Amino acid sequence: MTKSQKCYRLAGLIFPAIAVLCALVAAGMMEPYLAFVATSWIIFGLLGLSLDVVWGRGGLLSLGQTAFYGLGGYFGSVVAINMADLFGNSLLVAIPAGAIFGAMAAAVLGYIIFYSRMGLLQSTILSYTFTLLLWSLTQTFKLEVGNAVIGGDNGLSNIPGVVLSIAPNSESLEPNAVFAAVVLVSAAVYYFTYWLMKSNFGKVIDCIRLDVEKTELLGYDVRKYQLLNFAYSGAVAGIAGALFGLWSNYLNPSIFSVQEALLVPIYVLVGGLGTLAGPFVGACLIGGLSFWLGSGSAGGQTTLMLGVVLILLVLFLKNGIIGALNDIWLRFLPDVNEAAKNSSAVRINVAVLEKILQQAEAQAGPAKELKTDKLLKRFGGVIPVNNVSRIFVPGQPYSLIGPNGAGKSSFLKTCVGIYQPDKGEVFIGSDNVAQMSIFHKVQKGMGVKNQKPQVFSELSVIQNLWIAAFSRTRSEQDAQVVSDEIISMLGLNKHSDVQASALSHGQQQWLDIGMVLCLAPRVVLLDEPAAGMTNEETRELSTLVRTLARYTTVVVVEHDMEFIRTLEGHVTVLHQGEVFAEGDIETLRLNERVLDIYLGRSKHV
Amino acid sequence: MELDYLASVLVSSLSSASILLIATIGLAVVFGLMGVINLAHGEFLMIGAYSALTVTQLGLPYVLSIPVAVLVTMAIGAIVEVLIISRLYGRIFDTMLATWGLSMVLYQLAVLIFGTVSPGIGMPQYNIQIGDYNLAGYPLLMIVVAIAMLVFVYLLMTKTIYGMKARASIQEPEMAQAIGIDSTRTNTLTFAVGCGLAGFAGAVLLPIVPATPSMGFAFVIKSFLTVVVAGPVTLTGSALAAIGLGGGSSITASFMTSVAGDVFFFLVTAIILWLYPLGISAKWRHKL
Amino acid sequence: MFKVMNATGGYGKTTIIHDVSIQIKPGEIIALLGRNGVGKSTLMRFITGLIPAMAGGVEIDGVKAPAAVTKRARMGLGYVPQGRFVFPRMSVIENIAVAAASNGHDVKKALKEAMDNFPILIPKANDLAGGLSGGQQQILALARALAIKPKILLLDEPTEGVQPSIIDDMAGVLKRVNKEQGISILIAEQNLDFCLSFAERAYVMERGKIVTQMGIDELKGNKVLQQELLGV
Repeated sequence: MTKSQKCYRLAGLIFPAIAVLCALVAAGMMEPYLAFVATSWIIFGLLGLSLDVVWGRGGLLSLGQTAFYGLGGYFGSVVAINMADLFGNSLLVAIPAGAIFGAMAAAVLGYIIFYSRMGLLQSTILSYTFTLLLWSLTQTFKLEVGNAVIGGDNGLSNIPGVVLSIAPNSESLEPNAVFAAVVLVSAAVYYFTYWLMKSNFGKVIDCIRLDVEKTELLGYDVRKYQLLNFAYSGAVAGIAGALFGLWSNYLNPSIFSVQEALLVPIYVLVGGLGTLAGPFVGACLIGGLSFWLGSGSAGGQTTLMLGVVLILLVLFLKNGIIGALNDIWLRFLPDVNEAAKNSSAVRINVAVLEKILQQAEAQAGPAKELKTDKLLKRFGGVIPVNNVSRIFVPGQPYSLIGPNGAGKSSFLKTCVGIYQPDKGEVFIGSDNVAQMSIFHKVQKGMGVKNQKPQVFSELSVIQNLWIAAFSRTRSEQDAQVVSDEIISMLGLNKHSDVQASALSHGQQQWLDIGMVLCLAPRVVLLDEPAAGMTNEETRELSTLVRTLARYTTVVVVEHDMEFIRTLEGHVTVLHQGEVFAEGDIETLRLNERVLDIYLGRSKHV
Repeated sequence: MELDYLASVLVSSLSSASILLIATIGLAVVFGLMGVINLAHGEFLMIGAYSALTVTQLGLPYVLSIPVAVLVTMAIGAIVEVLIISRLYGRIFDTMLATWGLSMVLYQLAVLIFGTVSPGIGMPQYNIQIGDYNLAGYPLLMIVVAIAMLVFVYLLMTKTIYGMKARASIQEPEMAQAIGIDSTRTNTLTFAVGCGLAGFAGAVLLPIVPATPSMGFAFVIKSFLTVVVAGPVTLTGSALAAIGLGGGSSITASFMTSVAGDVFFFLVTAIILWLYPLGISAKWRHKL
Repeated sequence: MFKVMNATGGYGKTTIIHDVSIQIKPGEIIALLGRNGVGKSTLMRFITGLIPAMAGGVEIDGVKAPAAVTKRARMGLGYVPQGRFVFPRMSVIENIAVAAASNGHDVKKALKEAMDNFPILIPKANDLAGGLSGGQQQILALARALAIKPKILLLDEPTEGVQPSIIDDMAGVLKRVNKEQGISILIAEQNLDFCLSFAERAYVMERGKIVTQMGIDELKGNKVLQQELLGV
């Protein structure tokens, strides 16, 4: 690895550290007024960071961040006011109070959004409505908590400044020292967030943004992760709010206003979405711009400039400043996806595969059967799954075939839980899983490969496999061992660091299958796995499926008859949502009734 | 009289709901038919109001200023669609942010050109008597205007060839092209119509809501929530949502405080979104 | 003469059809056969211009077709996609009327023709297209494509999910418009009987390429060949 590559990898640690040092040096030299104003930019950057965590990482544009910011600010300030007589240090009091309150508010809202599995747009709008609700509520709200008077015409005033000394009623710091203190607090929050997003938790959050369905199909309870991430962002916003209260010594409901709410995404976009450091860059830049414009002849034109900047950013510079710099830097680094260009055909190593499957059996227990009992799914007047009762056992692969619209994929999706069954039961082993969430079924031993390859495009091949393995093992080392084995079984070692999006369609299919194997599933459901594969790859797939069926229960939905013939397994013909015929493929090929429904001949249709 | 009071509250609430609906219809066309969240909708309303104000200040009668307002906003809307919106179809959050930027630009331009305070134009003075209560006539007229706008948009979108093309282009964009509809031009026109409706709203509400650069903010939030609550059957849905949310909040406001009215509005919106994530009309079978 | 020359295209970076060339004489009915996923629908979408050409192009009556979907439609390319894609929140009448009007044809005449061709649509005339059954939607999609008065009609799996009696009606109308108005037809189908009943020639696709073409009589009655080609 070259120096430049190492530096690139650690950029998120190094450059912020340099920036913090510069800020601390500047704090000693700045005019007090500039230091006072610049403190607010850092606070807004922190608020931007809280949005970047949910939006840039989690994938949800939340317009509720100012609500958590405001709530954290009010609560932190109220606590600070009441504690001022007992305990001097206002930072130590207000920050935890703001963080806790912000996190709690976010958790309540997040519970509604994520546990009812709301769409993205609805979630954004609900978060916006939440902010508006607070804004209108606080207009006339009046409450006295100890020494603090919330609401009324004067807002919440008499908030102590930033005090470091522990002695009661100490003097608050000078503007330059406040600036330095806020920079240090923000740096601490930034580095913690940076660590969190690098951690296993952060990796799952990234996966949820890239493909929420696939993440759940790997057995992760996505709602829990989303909720925790949202609550964390609320805590960060709450800290920013608490700092804001101490900085301004005064709070009023305008903190919840629409203008405030919509400024936050601008900070994030200007700096760079998903970069964590970006919001600070954005906030300082915009703050600096307004400061400079406000003092010059172009006074008051900030809004105009901001508007134009926002439009141009959305149209032309989607990744913001840090994103653009990142792209430039990447051009000077060796291309990680270089290996994808000279790819060879996948070749399954059966011996390695058997070893993996034996290990999986040792770790995850014996294969389980899959049973459906009078399973029914209805879409309006169409019944794609009509009272299907079937049992699938390990030993030989099961194929589901049938003409278009016969209900093959729908049956599979209803078993998986992508479609909620209207009636009937699904059993994995002895567990009735019909009403369980998808991730829960996966934890019970179900492995699913959908028709389209589902891989996490921005992650490398090995990271894709690792995140799948980690879902089961919950141990970093074990996940590493499993994913190393699977990658060599697939013969993708050379592509280890290639981004999944750079792989060919066929290779993505293999990677997806590899991720399913990482789960050590006891029941495997494959929806048209051969689609888009070459003849050679289809042959390898057939080998894999047959081997797999000796250790687990395997159900395959497929159109490709040649492929099904090579599986040498049990075949079920579905027609109009019902079981139409079954047996082995040779018998079925001679069955006139089956040919009729395939050829659309009308006698039996 | 208690009954008179109730009746007057009801009528004035219906008139507030109508005012909300008038401000919303343009947004309903753009969001409901094109899937574009136009956060600058309020500013188009403001442009309409200033256009009408300028025309009356030049000495022309108020009635004539309304078509001028419509034309001005339609022209600006068409330009905005070509320059910004057309590049962002299918990217709903990007459109939202870009139109938010646009709204800031338009707001600031209005401040530069017109200043922050403008003279109002007098409200036509006639009153309606309900028992002991005297209600101003012009706000009540808005009920009629809202109904007329609904009927106009309904006819425009269902009875004209343009309307059919517009709906086809939105419902199945690829198939619309495949049968020879120039969906690019159709979309530009639809966006312009939406902006024109906002301009009309700004002009027709001018006697009640004086033109100020920030008047857009007052409307856009509630209009926007109304449209989202309405869901895919935009026109009927918006009418119902406006009556429910706008009327409800107005009634709440007259018995309690105006803040309570706002709280009612936002709280009910949040609850409806929770219960009907795709809007109240998600399962209706209607054209518009 | 309708020509597709060296068509190469797909989605994103993935190429699905490679170097496909076909020719259709005026008034000819051609079947496009092959298993699921061999690229039949992609070829259809390539011809309409709905996916960009990586290479190759389309020629209608000696004129090179422009890239824009709208312009191709106006040159006489009618398209009935797999899955129908009628305009769901528009009535049956509106679905047909908008197609006729967009190409400058008389709306009333187009509606009368459609209702004459497909009497099954008459009782549903004012219903929303989204509420029709699959078969009725298929008929509507066909009526809509005919309303633009095409020179060549592309049909993608027109019998999928359609009951047999309607399939018969459809075959009848297709034969008639082919004979009376000289419309060429390219039809991608899995329902072999439907194709065999009126196509003259067939192209067979496999893995994104045309592997063979043959007269329809050659294919009729040869069950082994049918199984081999279509994988049934």
